[in-house]
Parts: sequence; C-alpha cells; structure tokens
Amino acid sequence: MDTHVDFELSNVDLSFANSLRRVIQAEVPTIAIDLVEIEANTSVLADEFIAHRLGLIPLDSREIDQLNYTRDCDCDQSCGKCTVTLTLHAKCSSDEVMKVYARDLIVGIDRPNNHIGNPIITDPDGQGSLIAKLRKGQELKVTCVAKKGIAKEHAKWSPTAAVGFEYDPHNKLHHLDLWYETDRASEWPKSKYADWEEPPAEGEPFDYDAVPNRFYFEVESAGNIEPDAIIQEGIKELQRKLAGLIHGLGENDDMNGDYDGPRSPDGMDGGAPWQDQGGFTTPYAGAGNTSAWGGGGATAYGTTPYGNSGSAGW
Amino acid sequence: MQTQKKFVVDFVESLLEPYHQPRCLKVGKKEEMPARTKARAPSAEDADMEDAAPTSAQQVTNSQDGDPMEEDEDNELTEEEEAEEPQRVRILPGSTSTAASFEFLKEGHTLGNALRFIIMKNPDVEFCAYAIPHPSEEKMNLRIQTYDTTTATAALEKGLQDLEDLCDVVSEEFWAQREKFMATKS
Repeated sequence: MDTHVDFELSNVDLSFANSLRRVIQAEVPTIAIDLVEIEANTSVLADEFIAHRLGLIPLDSREIDQLNYTRDCDCDQSCGKCTVTLTLHAKCSSDEVMKVYARDLIVGIDRPNNHIGNPIITDPDGQGSLIAKLRKGQELKVTCVAKKGIAKEHAKWSPTAAVGFEYDPHNKLHHLDLWYETDRASEWPKSKYADWEEPPAEGEPFDYDAVPNRFYFEVESAGNIEPDAIIQEGIKELQRKLAGLIHGLGENDDMNGDYDGPRSPDGMDGGAPWQDQGGFTTPYAGAGNTSAWGGGGATAYGTTPYGNSGSAGW
Repeated sequence: MQTQKKFVVDFVESLLEPYHQPRCLKVGKKEEMPARTKARAPSAEDADMEDAAPTSAQQVTNSQDGDPMEEDEDNELTEEEEAEEPQRVRILPGSTSTAASFEFLKEGHTLGNALRFIIMKNPDVEFCAYAIPHPSEEKMNLRIQTYDTTTATAALEKGLQDLEDLCDVVSEEFWAQREKFMATKS
C-alpha cells in the first residue's frame, strides 16, 4: 500500500490551503480502539499502559462512512453499526519471551464490511505493531471496542503521520525571517520545491502585493486510509461542515442544528458549561452530563472523555 | 427564555444610548464595556450573562485590517435564530442587517479563516474578520459588514456556498490529476 501523496495546490488562498491541511490532520474520521476491558493482565505492564498502546494501533478505516459515530447510533451502548470488537488472548508457556503483536488481535465478525477495523500490518514479517512482551506464565486477555472518531479528540484517530505543507520556497514573500551568520544561501538548505519556482532575480524589488499561490502538500498516511483518500475525505469533511451550517442557516428561526459533522464518540458535547461560575452561560447548556463511560465524571471542566467513574477501561 | 433574553438586550442597549452619540467609532466601542458591566451588575438577571458576549464581537471589530469603519448601531436588533439548544450559529447582540457579528459554536480557524477569505471576495462585502475570543472556548466569531446592496446574513450564506463550490473544484481537480498520475505510473 502506498503511504505518501505529494501534490501541489495552486490558485487558492493561503487560508483555504491551510484549512485543508487542518482538516486532514484533525478532522478526518478513522477508527481506533477506544474502550479496553481487561480480563487478565499478568504482564509487567500496567492495564492503562496496555490500553493506551492498543489505542494507538492503526486500524483499517477505509469506507469509514459505513460506520456510525457511537453517539449518533440508534443502539443502546454499542452495536455492529458503530463499533468493531477486537479480542486478544495470549499466554506465554515457553521459556522464551513471547511477543504479542497487533496481528494477534481477533476482529469480531459483527461489522459493516469485512475490512474495517483490521489491524494495519505493513511490515515484511506480517506482525504489525508490538503490543507487549510476556514471560513464562504471564497472560494477557483483553476485549477492545474500537470506535469512530477524529484526531481533534485524540491523536490515535489521526489518519496521517505527518502533513508537509510548504509555500514560497525562495521566501520571496518574506513570510520567514531566515537568520544567518554570514551567507543565507549557503547556510540554509534549499527547499525540495525550490526548482519548481523561479528564484528571485538579482536585485529584484520586494513585491509587497504578492500573495502565496502555490502550496506543496506531502501527506503521509498512518496506514489506516490511503493517502489520496485522506485528501478526498478531508475535502468532504470540510464540505460537511459547511453543509451543516448552510442547513442550519436555512431554517433560520429553529436552528436546532442536527449537525452531523465530524465528531468523536464523546466529549465536546456532553460537558457542563465551561465557566458556569462567572455567570457566563455558554449555549452548551448544562444538560447531558453522561458519557459512554458513565456519568460520574464531573470535573470543573465538565465530563472528561475519560470518565472517573471507576468502570473498567480508562 | 426568548422573550426574556430580548428584554435584557434591549435594556442594555437603551442604557448605552448616550454612548452611541458619536456615530463614527473605531476603538471607541471599547469604552462602552465598563459601562455595560456596571449597568448590568445590579440587575438580578445573571442567568443571561451571555449577552455580555459583545466583548468578543467588539474584539472582532477592532482586530484585523486597519479599516476605519463606521459603526452604525441602531437599536433594532436582528436577533434571529433563538432556538432551544444546539443551534450552531447565532447573531450577537448589537447587529444590524448590514453589519452583523455571528457566533459559531464548535468551529475554529479551520473554518474561520477560509470563510473570512471567501466572504471578503464578495464585492458586496465591505469588511469581514473572524476571531476566536478565547482559546479554551470552542467559539468562533465572524464579523461581516456589507454595503447596502446585500445583508450580512446573505453574505454569510453566499460565503458558505462559495466555499463549498471551491471544495468541489479542488476535489474534482485533485482526482483528475491523480488519475493522470496513476496512468503515467503504470
């Protein structure tokens, strides 16, 4: 599978190009393990440590549209339309150290299609990410619930490892102030896009009206979505944002936005008003303090997505 | 709730009457703030304090492009949408039909900057700026001032539509170029 896409975006404004970058990095939905039930953990690693590691394993998120956000799903707690269940059971019985890999996760059959939620395995040995190492007699038995979410909520939902974003390789616009000791040209390496644009002519006057016009993107996928699909999804997500607002504005007086833009399974919505004390009522309203993790978590900042209800999981 | 809020707003605006006398305000609007806070303190209606939010509206007005602009504040409020709960956009108090501040919930620079740009492209728009009044509140304020040829709400709607069309163009072009590239590769 390809992991990179490089492209040039031209004839748009910096603000739009930046919106695209931001939306790709933070708001393209993917699926990741979000709840971990630990039945047995006699390994040397703490439960939450393993839960965290499991969360970071990239899972196949192609055709994520077929999966609902758990919060929007009709089901009670979770179902095959909004979650994918992965189980892991490993016990070391030999004298050698046993390594538990992402490939050892068994994906439940109740899911929208037969690739969503599969652990991404790209290494030549076909093992995937290392989860834990077990010594003789140690056991790890967990049930994971993977949910759809966006990276704004937690970086584990990020579809990209990195997004390169560059413009004006010769710094003609003076958006950068490149520090140098004696000679700028020799001390600063040339951008890899430097050959794509004309270098400034000798003694060329500074054009203060110029605006950036060509943007160089380099999107690196984390493996869960193909990189070109990430761009497409990003644009789609931006449009969904706009459509939600247009829809809301259209109804004008009853703008109870049934907004179905990007959202993570929880958080954002459920919390209590942010700064209730100051008499500053935010339109977030105090209702609905409950999260999937149980309604116990009322901190000063509202319910945290991590709950502190002491239930299994985080 | 609706009526109550309206009342509060009107009440505050009428208190501010004297401050509206100088019609051309640039930074002057800031001076209103203490008056507003003081005026509100004795009133027992702390529940609706969110009306104090024009702070942010004014920040918008003062930020960005040194455009000296006319503050044409009339008392008639275009308080449009006033729904129960998760309404995502509202018009901040003190707005008129051609000069309005909108408050977006759960939006940030991603939408704000692109929308600001596309609205500025509209020749009927005199001024447009956005601000995120506080980084830990998921709010984005957008100020639009138009010429008499259109209204601020219409300009906002046009901006949203234009941005969506721009996305379509970029999306199509991206895919076309991708197909071309894939063809050369194989």
